[in-house]
Amino acid sequence: MSCELKLKERIGTINPIFTCQPAGAQYASIGIKDCIGIVHGGQGCVMFVRLLISQHLKESFEIASSSVHEDGAVFGALNRVEEAVDVLLMRYPHVKVIPIITTCSTEVIGDDVDGVVTKLEEELLQVKYPDREVHLIPIHTPSFVGSMVSGYDVAVRDFVKYFAKKDKPSFKINLITGWVNPGDVTELKSLLAAMEIEANVLFEIESFDSPLMPDKSAVSHGSTTIEDLISTADAQGTIALNRYEGGKAAKFLEKRWDVPAIIGPTPIGIRNTDTFLQNLKTMTGKPIPDSLVRERGIAIDAITDLTHMFLADKKVAIFGNPDLVIGLAEFCLDLEMKPVLLLLGDENAEYENDPRIKALQEGVDFDMEIIANADLWELEDRIKNKGLELDLILGHSKGRFVAIDNMIPMVRVGFPTYDRAGLYRYPVVGYKGATWLAEQMANALFTDMEYKKNKEWILNVW
Amino acid sequence: MPYHEFECSKCIPERKQHAVVKAPGEDLTSCLPKGYLNTIPGSISERGCAYCGAKHVIGTPMKDVIHLSHGPIGCTYDTWQTKRYISDNGNFQLKYTFASDVREKHIVFGAEKLLKQNILEAFAQFPEIKRMTIYQTCATALIGDDINAIAEEVMEELPDVDIFICNSPGFAGPSQSGGHHKINIAWINQKVGTVEPEITSDYVINYVGEYNIQGDQEVMQDFFKRMGIQVLSTFTGNGRYDDLRGMHKAHLNVLECARSAEYICNELRVRYGIPRLDIDGFGFEPLSQSLRKVAMFFGIEERAEAIIAEETARWKPELDWYKERLKGKKVCLWPGGSKLWHWAHVIEAEMGVKVVSVYTKFGHQGDMEKGVARCSEDTLAIDDPNELEGLEALEMLKPDIIFTGKRPGEVAKKVGVPYLNAHAYHNGPYKGYEGWVRFARDIYNAIYSPIHQLAELDISRDPIPTDKGFATQRMLSDASLPEDIRTSTTLRQYSGAYDTISPLRDKTYPTFDSRSAAAE
Repeated sequence: MSCELKLKERIGTINPIFTCQPAGAQYASIGIKDCIGIVHGGQGCVMFVRLLISQHLKESFEIASSSVHEDGAVFGALNRVEEAVDVLLMRYPHVKVIPIITTCSTEVIGDDVDGVVTKLEEELLQVKYPDREVHLIPIHTPSFVGSMVSGYDVAVRDFVKYFAKKDKPSFKINLITGWVNPGDVTELKSLLAAMEIEANVLFEIESFDSPLMPDKSAVSHGSTTIEDLISTADAQGTIALNRYEGGKAAKFLEKRWDVPAIIGPTPIGIRNTDTFLQNLKTMTGKPIPDSLVRERGIAIDAITDLTHMFLADKKVAIFGNPDLVIGLAEFCLDLEMKPVLLLLGDENAEYENDPRIKALQEGVDFDMEIIANADLWELEDRIKNKGLELDLILGHSKGRFVAIDNMIPMVRVGFPTYDRAGLYRYPVVGYKGATWLAEQMANALFTDMEYKKNKEWILNVW
Repeated sequence: MPYHEFECSKCIPERKQHAVVKAPGEDLTSCLPKGYLNTIPGSISERGCAYCGAKHVIGTPMKDVIHLSHGPIGCTYDTWQTKRYISDNGNFQLKYTFASDVREKHIVFGAEKLLKQNILEAFAQFPEIKRMTIYQTCATALIGDDINAIAEEVMEELPDVDIFICNSPGFAGPSQSGGHHKINIAWINQKVGTVEPEITSDYVINYVGEYNIQGDQEVMQDFFKRMGIQVLSTFTGNGRYDDLRGMHKAHLNVLECARSAEYICNELRVRYGIPRLDIDGFGFEPLSQSLRKVAMFFGIEERAEAIIAEETARWKPELDWYKERLKGKKVCLWPGGSKLWHWAHVIEAEMGVKVVSVYTKFGHQGDMEKGVARCSEDTLAIDDPNELEGLEALEMLKPDIIFTGKRPGEVAKKVGVPYLNAHAYHNGPYKGYEGWVRFARDIYNAIYSPIHQLAELDISRDPIPTDKGFATQRMLSDASLPEDIRTSTTLRQYSGAYDTISPLRDKTYPTFDSRSAAAE
């Protein structure tokens, strides 16, 4: 019985779990109202990320490129940033926030993005746009450092760092959600509303799930405002749900503006949601109302129908963003399942000290592997060549062929989930998320039993 | 000059020369937008990069190859599972992608050692695969890794493997098109002529510029096989690496997408004297003409005529069923490159729709020449369109449907215009006679979806019709059709299967006597 945290032994990556840093910064940028980012690099760094996001959410989002071509790569490409800012401001009169997101190419050639921002502020903005509110924010996300997860973390911190400013104390809290779906934000806000807590939500992305309106006016965009970001410094506290996606911003606010921070846990499952509510209560003094006792009861009731009859002892592999994977693993354990393999798609020295990972190492009574810097071949190779037997896979759509080719049922969760309809609309967090996850897992197992004629008659009576 | 100036682009005057409206009496001398110039930064262009043009578009459809990108993981991840180029070997090329995973320390100290370990490791993990392509990325181009030297070293150590290098970093050119060019030239320089293929027919072709989207290549290969023609290689859809090394032995290069693959055809002509024949697998008439041209080259016209007659008889009544119902429907034909001219005229001629706009993301002026020449008057042609121009054009033209990519399709959705995926198709393949009917079927299903009617209704102010529980496509499409067409017994809806490709893989073909045997 052991639970080991180790690094993938191979040096290369076969079927990556994550994309690179600039993608995370781009996903953060679309959460802010009146914001269009400029990615400073080749055009693919934007084109494919926009495609990826649109695959996941079935919507299109605006992100610009500085379109670095050969001459820029040789002679420096800061002129492309200058032109991009001007073109963007001219053509998008509503835009106020422009993060300038670097990539591997422009970091390698050493373009001084901070310098060009100063220059633009002193020249272009003052001369051509003197009456316009414009915020240029350099975000350094070289692709050869970290992953899309750290890119998201860095971007949230940089946005907060740029805007946060003390005015007068507020009763609001800051809720930094991490890389989540519109459905998660809806659920988190409903928990806050039940406790009568107001929050600056970073980011308000419910509006990513936008309608098709009769007047054809709707567009998909996040709705966190500049005012929200400024007032993060006035909040009575920050709760960052995800250690690795927003934790940096919470720590910054604590250090620079004395806003107390609680980082984690990712409120996946009953227990972590309980902790989240307790943290809210501690931070605000607001009681947990009966309505949530009831909501929790509904979730517990639904889960009780499933756990010991169907889910117990099922072996699960989970891959994806670290906070999501850990949260799911913890929830699976509460459901009597056996998360035997956790795959974290990047290398991060902090994983070793993550108390949740330590707790797994101390508390798990079966063999469990946690692989950092993992790729999807770590999963597939174990199944195909090393005898790993699994009942279920939890992860995003890029792993679909591992499940399909090895005939293992899979519940899509995380980002991206483009091969299933509408998943971004459902929460995995909160009590509703717990119910939804448990039921998705059960239904996936049921469908699999039927396809494989594996005791499918069990479900005649339930 | 009939340039079209978009309101949204008045502030970037250089854009004015990138869009034209073809007016009565105008020809290409007065009506040709600029093309393939550097992108205007910040314009929110739809263009991709030269790495993706090389790796994602042309390299990866090769099916028996480890495709390794030398760079950070993002390039690899992003260009993985966003296309529908299938293969008959279990889709290895779709399922597996490899990144050397360059980190900061490699940027500082070089990543050649890392690359070598990667190559060895990948071959060790997939011992049945002996071929590899390596794609340079922005990062490794800038640090100057000598990928060729590493590949040579590995090939010496592992004599049974073969490695192809494509140096096409993302910044190499204004769009993905730069990568198309680079990989074409790299392949002929490095690999053509290094394998002597087995010749099994008197009639041997390379099928070039065909990427097997949803099985297009397999459809066309079926026609060639039925004509007794040996398809020596396909560049690159469903193609085998070693077959493509033997391209020099073909008698004829049959070229489909001239935008992405004319370069290698031109080089094969110069270096090996193999003629180039441009064909078109989309549309009954262009396809029939194409099969005739190929047959004529070999003097086997009767074989082509037999196929044309059989396929036309089988599928024309189904195409015409849709044509009657698509007449006059306005189309924005907004693909990436070559489909603007592959489709512009033939969808008007054979499906009755009206193309109101064409655009190209990465095409050159030559593509616009062909596209504009094939369009009718008043068509708006746009080079390297951007987000706002696209919306403005949709507002102005009010098309019934748009053929474009997945993400721009989402933009169109919001303004009530249904989209068909021009790159990956909805329910393809679209090549071949049956494929063309499938395309018409998909257009029909998109335009006449009852959901669009519902989308128009504003329940807060419009009268709500309460007399209907449903509508069908047919109720919408046939409402104003003449009686004889509505009740025609000769026309019929598409009657093919969901999957038309798998059965082709087990098909047996007639054998023809070889010319030498016939002479004896």
